[in-house]
Amino acid sequence: MSGIHLFVPMLHIRDAVGEHTRALRDLLVAAGVASRIYTETPDPDTAEETRPYLEYEADAQPGDVLVYQMATRSDMADWLANRREPVVVNYHSLTPPGYFAPWNNWIARHQARAASELRRLAPTAALGIGVSQFDAAELRDSGCADVIVIPVVNVRIPPVEPDAAALAGLRATGEGGPRWLSVGRLAPNKAHQDVIAALFVARATTAPTATLTIVGSPSEPAYARALRRYAADLGIGDAVEFVSRISDGELAARYASSDVLVMASEHEGFGVPLVEAMLNGLPVVAFAAGAVAEVVGDAGVLLDAKGPRRITEEVAELLADPKRRQSLIAAGRGRPAALGLDRAGSDLVAALRRVADGASHAAEHLDSADPVRPTGPLSH
Amino acid sequence: MTESTDPGTSETSGRSDGEPRTVLPADERGLLDAFDRLRPQGTLGWNFDDAVRRLVEPIEAPGRPAGWGGLPADLWQRGRATQASERVLGDVVQLLAQDLTEYTDRAVEESQQISANELAELRRSVFDAIRFLAARVEQLESSSDPVGLRAGQLDLPNFSGSEWSGVVAGRTASRSDLPAMMGELGDDALLSALAGGDVRVEGVDPRGSVAWAADAKFGAGSGQIDIVFADVADHLRSLPDASRGCVVLAGCVDRSDLARKMDLVDQARRVVASGGSLVLLVTDQVAWDDSLGPVVRDLLPGRPLHPQTWLAVLGHRGLTALQWKRATTGSVHAVVAEVGR
Repeated sequence: MSGIHLFVPMLHIRDAVGEHTRALRDLLVAAGVASRIYTETPDPDTAEETRPYLEYEADAQPGDVLVYQMATRSDMADWLANRREPVVVNYHSLTPPGYFAPWNNWIARHQARAASELRRLAPTAALGIGVSQFDAAELRDSGCADVIVIPVVNVRIPPVEPDAAALAGLRATGEGGPRWLSVGRLAPNKAHQDVIAALFVARATTAPTATLTIVGSPSEPAYARALRRYAADLGIGDAVEFVSRISDGELAARYASSDVLVMASEHEGFGVPLVEAMLNGLPVVAFAAGAVAEVVGDAGVLLDAKGPRRITEEVAELLADPKRRQSLIAAGRGRPAALGLDRAGSDLVAALRRVADGASHAAEHLDSADPVRPTGPLSH
Repeated sequence: MTESTDPGTSETSGRSDGEPRTVLPADERGLLDAFDRLRPQGTLGWNFDDAVRRLVEPIEAPGRPAGWGGLPADLWQRGRATQASERVLGDVVQLLAQDLTEYTDRAVEESQQISANELAELRRSVFDAIRFLAARVEQLESSSDPVGLRAGQLDLPNFSGSEWSGVVAGRTASRSDLPAMMGELGDDALLSALAGGDVRVEGVDPRGSVAWAADAKFGAGSGQIDIVFADVADHLRSLPDASRGCVVLAGCVDRSDLARKMDLVDQARRVVASGGSLVLLVTDQVAWDDSLGPVVRDLLPGRPLHPQTWLAVLGHRGLTALQWKRATTGSVHAVVAEVGR
């Protein structure tokens, strides 16, 4: 039985690409399509639901479609570029290497090589799927002829309910000042340091008791340590809390107990936390980099520049104006539908099925040893 | 030239979009600059402090004596990501920590009691070694850079040596049985000229931005060019005697002080096999001086030597077939020499 199989370098839980991949696998299986996840490196937390990608050769069936979840470098990319089956590149953006170079040159080189891999793989893809217009543009620039935009499928609509105990605990703590929240991996492109610097300015000027919670896994350890040290060096170590590996309910409790989401990220292929915040009724102040502007739309405060004072002033003005705050919250609740997040799963399954139909058609007319990759763009 | 790491980002802006940091008021700029100083590349203190803190801070781990958490998993990787001198420190720390880990593992496995005194003595040894090394590294860095500015952070001219692509390709091909080495990479015109040849080439550059850009362009998918992120002199020191058919030096031979210049050519002379070539691409002194502002001119540790001076230096070191090829279309001269058979 042919299937639509998913390839991802590593499958992580609580990781945007990992959760998207798992959600897509579940959607395909629910739609009656055979689907397995293949990885290059097993993650102990998910090893039971993945297989090594080189074992696909033994599993291959005529009419299969291979979907590559691309966000980093992997030997899989060149391997997929040389497969006979149609390959779909589901693109989640490559963080430019420059962000990592001052922190970890190995990762910087890793990302530079990923860009080279994309340029080799994209022209061979039967279809490119960007999770945002921003990502779609990068796919086209890399040589992918047929590109569509379907957002990620792992945003819970309606959102997960806040964990009651966690929410009660959070509300019972604090000095009563504004609670800032920033969500995203502790990676240099997320620029959490700009939010810390802005909090420093806020506490020195308009909001002496303001606090900041940064939720995110330390994906670059040196950067994560530097963030903690920076807060400590600025004398606001007690006002900045770093949180990672929390449940969806606990994260929802963080959204529910905060006053504003402040995002200073300089490279976002989509920005799931922006949507989660809007779904949870938390107003957003964000630097308009990458896909942030198209995700937030007019439902948040978008910054074209982000000096610490500018961020501080925008947050203070927003929190001091309840009418504007409520207006943005109301607009935010409508953004997921405007972005097509409520139908992203069905759209993605349908798009992949169209590729599979083309592959099956080709397989019927070709000997199994011949290439089955469609030669022209598909219609949608 | 800055240590910019991406066409879209720069050290002065720290961001890919929005306003450059330079337009911010001085106090805000200072606030953000403070974070930049915590980056591993370019700071000795961070890696040293962090390594020691991780050794000192008690980490509870089952099956191990209290107070020792084992080898930091990312120590090696972080060590490799830093400047050459810091990398030495990182490597030595790793070796010492590895020994300590093995010792404690063995003690646990054999159910032997390890006394607090024994453990304290081991740790004291590690700390003393690190302190000693750190002091040496700081001493060396301060002697080579008394102002506290790394030459790589200064805005240096970057003249292209592309007019010598043919010369370099010819010299490299003359000992095609051995790999060639080129450091630094400049505008990569020379590397491009060698990319299609039959000789394996190591391109070395101490600037991460240049190295990874070259790696992306030449390293992936090419068996002929290896990009190495390292100080050129350090890399030369790591190579065996007579292991390269040709060594090309550019950039580093212009800006470094006299002692380092001599060290570079001595190392290169050692590495080049008999019958091989040493090529120095030397910026014209007048063009160099004209391109520099007064601050950089005053603070740089060195300036290019005149090609005649290089000929004298190389002749004194026993190299033969010395040639000065004058710059015609650019501002870079080529000084070519052979290692006698």
